[in-house]
Amino acid sequence: MKIMNKLAVAGSVAIALGTTGAQAAEFDGVTVNVMTFTGPQIAEPLQRRGAEFSEATGADINVITVPFSDLYQKLLTDWVSGTNSIDAGVFAPQWMVDYVTPGLLEDLTEQVAADEALESDDIAKFFREFSQKYDNKTYMLTVDGDFHMVYYRTDIAEELGLDAPKTWDDYLAFAKAAHGKDMNGDGEADYGSCMAKKRNAQSYWMITSVASAFIQSQGTSQGAFFDTEDMSPLYNNEAFAEALRIYGETGDYAPSDEINLDVGDTRGLFTSGRCALTLDWGDIGTLAIDPETSKVVDKVGAVALPGSTRVLDRASGKLVDCSAETCPHAVDGINHAPFAAFGGWSGGVNSSADDAVKEAAYAFFSYVSQPAQSNADVTVGATGFNPYRTSQFENMENWTNAGMSQEAAENYLGAIQTSLNSPNMVLDLRIPQNQRYQQIVLDTAIARYLAGELDIEGTMKSISDGWSEITEEMGMEDQLSAYRLTIGAQ
Amino acid sequence: MSWFESQKLGEMAPGTKVIIYSLLWFWAFVVVFPLYWVVITSFKLPVHVSDGPDFLPFIDYQPSLHAWKYIFIDLGSDTFRPYLNSVIIASISTVFAMIFGSMAAYALARLHFQPRLISIVLFLIALGLAAYAAISFGVDWRLALALGIAVFFFLVRALQRVPSPRLGNGDILFWVISQRILPPIVAALPIYIMFQQLHILDTHFAIILTYITVNLPIVVWLMYDFFVSIPRDIEESAGLDGASKIRIFFEMALPLAKPGLAATSLLVLILSWNEYLLALFLSTAKAQTIPLLVAAQNATRGPQWWYMSVLIIIMIVPVVLLTILLQRLISKGLLLGAVKG
Amino acid sequence: MASEKLDNWLDRHSARLFLLPTVLLILSFSLFPLVISAWLSLSRFKLVAGGYDISYIGWLNYKKLFTGSQQFHFLGTFAPISLVGWLIIALTAAILFWGIYTFLISRNITVIGVIGRLIAFPVLGWLGWLVASTTGEGGRLGSLSTTLYYVFAGVTLQFLMGTLLAWLCAQNIRGRAFFRLVFFVPLMVTPVGIAYMFRMLADMSVGPFSPIWKLFGLGEFSWAADPWSARMVVIIGDSWQWIPFIFIVMLAAFESQSRDEIEAAELDGASGWQIFKDITWPSVVPVAATVVLIRIIEAFKIVDLPNVLTNGGPGIATESLTLHSFIEWRALNLGGSSSVAYLLLVVSTIICVSYFQLVVLPMRRARE
Repeated sequence: MKIMNKLAVAGSVAIALGTTGAQAAEFDGVTVNVMTFTGPQIAEPLQRRGAEFSEATGADINVITVPFSDLYQKLLTDWVSGTNSIDAGVFAPQWMVDYVTPGLLEDLTEQVAADEALESDDIAKFFREFSQKYDNKTYMLTVDGDFHMVYYRTDIAEELGLDAPKTWDDYLAFAKAAHGKDMNGDGEADYGSCMAKKRNAQSYWMITSVASAFIQSQGTSQGAFFDTEDMSPLYNNEAFAEALRIYGETGDYAPSDEINLDVGDTRGLFTSGRCALTLDWGDIGTLAIDPETSKVVDKVGAVALPGSTRVLDRASGKLVDCSAETCPHAVDGINHAPFAAFGGWSGGVNSSADDAVKEAAYAFFSYVSQPAQSNADVTVGATGFNPYRTSQFENMENWTNAGMSQEAAENYLGAIQTSLNSPNMVLDLRIPQNQRYQQIVLDTAIARYLAGELDIEGTMKSISDGWSEITEEMGMEDQLSAYRLTIGAQ
Repeated sequence: MSWFESQKLGEMAPGTKVIIYSLLWFWAFVVVFPLYWVVITSFKLPVHVSDGPDFLPFIDYQPSLHAWKYIFIDLGSDTFRPYLNSVIIASISTVFAMIFGSMAAYALARLHFQPRLISIVLFLIALGLAAYAAISFGVDWRLALALGIAVFFFLVRALQRVPSPRLGNGDILFWVISQRILPPIVAALPIYIMFQQLHILDTHFAIILTYITVNLPIVVWLMYDFFVSIPRDIEESAGLDGASKIRIFFEMALPLAKPGLAATSLLVLILSWNEYLLALFLSTAKAQTIPLLVAAQNATRGPQWWYMSVLIIIMIVPVVLLTILLQRLISKGLLLGAVKG
Repeated sequence: MASEKLDNWLDRHSARLFLLPTVLLILSFSLFPLVISAWLSLSRFKLVAGGYDISYIGWLNYKKLFTGSQQFHFLGTFAPISLVGWLIIALTAAILFWGIYTFLISRNITVIGVIGRLIAFPVLGWLGWLVASTTGEGGRLGSLSTTLYYVFAGVTLQFLMGTLLAWLCAQNIRGRAFFRLVFFVPLMVTPVGIAYMFRMLADMSVGPFSPIWKLFGLGEFSWAADPWSARMVVIIGDSWQWIPFIFIVMLAAFESQSRDEIEAAELDGASGWQIFKDITWPSVVPVAATVVLIRIIEAFKIVDLPNVLTNGGPGIATESLTLHSFIEWRALNLGGSSSVAYLLLVVSTIICVSYFQLVVLPMRRARE
């Protein structure tokens, strides 16, 4: 049996590579050093597929892992300083702009165009056109689709007679009603809402998920971080104040140490049944169905990010009600702005590597992303890969085989699809030095707000002052044109 | 009879004994409990951790080997490589730090140095000029460095007769020890740049060299105290008999200082074995050490407590074994050195 | 013949040869970083087409930390001085006056001594004032004050506990070797590992102490949400690791005392406390001073514990200077990172050297 499996794998690899133009043993003797963060998420599937790829082509795929918080720095330092010990990396497309500007990433546009096995058309438009590209050239290959959704306990919702939250007020009401109930049968009071709010982790995307529906309503190209005319920060007005108020209030229905909870902690809490609501990436969908670790199998529903009935009027800085003009993309009078937080793990190639290495790296990433491999990997929570191809939403079989009930699969995939198809999706900040804007200024200000050091006014001032200062240092004109480029502003 | 009156001369009162032993056992518990927790966590499944504290294996929960299997088998070479790197780097850097440091400590304890202040100033000036030339005029740094050193020697020769205050052994000692105050974070990036220019990044050699330098101050400090406390008579008579200083050092002083050597090398080994920040900056893949692997278990999906526990255990075990081996020498060694302050 | 000449040459220059490798290594690894770090702290790093660009911007990075947008981060938020603050100021003033007084009456007034003190004492006074004015009602500690807190509170706790344990162990008890080994173990664990270990232990809901917390009704309390309790947990973790170090050294010191003196005193009827005060303590004071100095030097570099336990939170409450610098570096703000690191170097040098001059040297001289 084992031999048969191996043969089948090798065979499919060969076929897959055959249509990319790569022949077996073509990359004999080529070593590709791929860097990503320590798994098992992301790293494990790369290692597994790497072994298969190695067998079929002779290339040696070496997956090197570093802590998540060091990945950006390590790659950048390695490439900018000319050390070049890393040939390719799997990292956030959001960081792409910092790597592309000094010319560190290989332009993959031609290879992608010639690559039939990749089935680019199957990749959702958002990832294909926005996430993988910068200035209309493709620099990265998506292997994972990332954006935020709200997950809720369907059984609790039924008990309380509530629907899936559509606005943030719904979310708060749901959390308030559920808070204090025993939701996992252990006799202890549980929590209404669990959000990861730990500093220097992944929490600074959460506030953008809450705020974007208030700030962006005219489509992706309107942008949700800065004004497209003069680069003034959009986190300093009534809309953001309202978002901060909501974000703070979710803490009232949360564990007392929420301020020190990371995504790993909140996922553990949710899958062990202690939370009614959570805000997270796509992982909960696949983690919840794992019978070994989850207590809420078949009790989880997913819904696209809640929206708002009032949006920001940029001229006046005030919140106005949704109308056909102010909210052209509103659904049932509610403006939604699904947020592609982080952008989804994607593979990029070092432009200074040897040609043979670059080719092998590209072929490897293509192999990982091809439907035959990707569609299986996205159904397994431990891989960390979330759906990003249309075929992954349409073909239910993989999901039901993995253990999701038909209903849960439709619900989960439906939420993702709604987000993907929304014309008002929010693109994560991709201007140069985005790490400073988000990780240093935004994250610190929000952490201080949650710790009670700053009030809402003070928080907004801290963010906008900090952002404006960085913009000034980097050169307003440059930052503005980069910002307009990434969101495709007219 | 009072609880706090001693019954026999030289022995403590029963009351005092109770207090002392209970305090000592309390602290022993404080030390051992966290380690016990780490050991049992390494045998836990994720659900055992998130479910609430399970204290006793087999009673509260069924131990599982999944974490051990993952670290040793699934990760296999990814665990073995950093472990081997750590062993190589820690042991080699300790050996050389001890050699260089003991030599320097002996020299400072026995021989007289009187560097002229003016020479030091000239040295700094020469280097400053070289740096200025390299940065402002784009002169290749190797050329600038060579020129700077040449200028220095020339100036020292030329200004030989100029009177200048002299520094002593104490000042040199203080300078060496004060290097320890330099926070690694200040030096990390410049050292990275330095190694990058020399094309030795991500090699064992680079990290070993860095660790030797970082630990030299401690070796010099501690061994200086040891050497100072050894009576000079034996060495002096050997010197009168015509033995060279080098022979005296290797054949007499070092053996006498064995306890000190053992204690200091254990301390330096521990420091090198556990070091994180510099290893993070200076290694990528090939020279990755074990502490980096421990830190890396904190994935975005949350800390993998079970894997981390296994790694912590395999990190501690070799050091504990080594300590037990050196136990006898340590107690005498730290004793001699510490007294002299 | 030739080898004899070589031997002679070696012998004549042996002093310099012995010292050479050490001096060379330390020179190259300390001079270069100091210069480069200083230069980086005065410049701005930017990624541009074709690579990167480092441009000189003068004192801007430092201005930001002291008076500009990063002041809240580095110095903290100021507030009216409270009672605790006045106590701190009084303590600092007392130490400084004592330092000036002992210097003036000593017979060792040198130019370097005067200059050194002229630099160090105002800085120490300013640091005392800084801590006092950020601990008041509504005030927040910045990374500088937090680091000072870790150093002074941490080392004090570690010294007291370590010395107490050592003194207990030095008594006439059985199993001394066993205790000695067990107490030494925490020093062997890598700091990153200790940080994760304590994060596991301190967890209020799934950690081993959660039944106890719940018993006391503290189940809902989160140590990570309150600045002072978060700092306390960092110090507890730090102490767990470093008390063994002080313990081992002080134990050796206690063990090395001559038993004769003590037995004679016992025969004379002196109490345990008198023996400790008059015989034991004076003989171990030099060792104690040195071990505290070593501990202070290392304590300034604390980074693993606050990084892993709370990532610097809540807000910026547990962020040490090294962590502050590290976070800036991660986001590519090389100039900002170097300026914070350099200020850490300056502060720790001033404090360590002052401590050495004011405490260690007098102890050594007294012993001689």
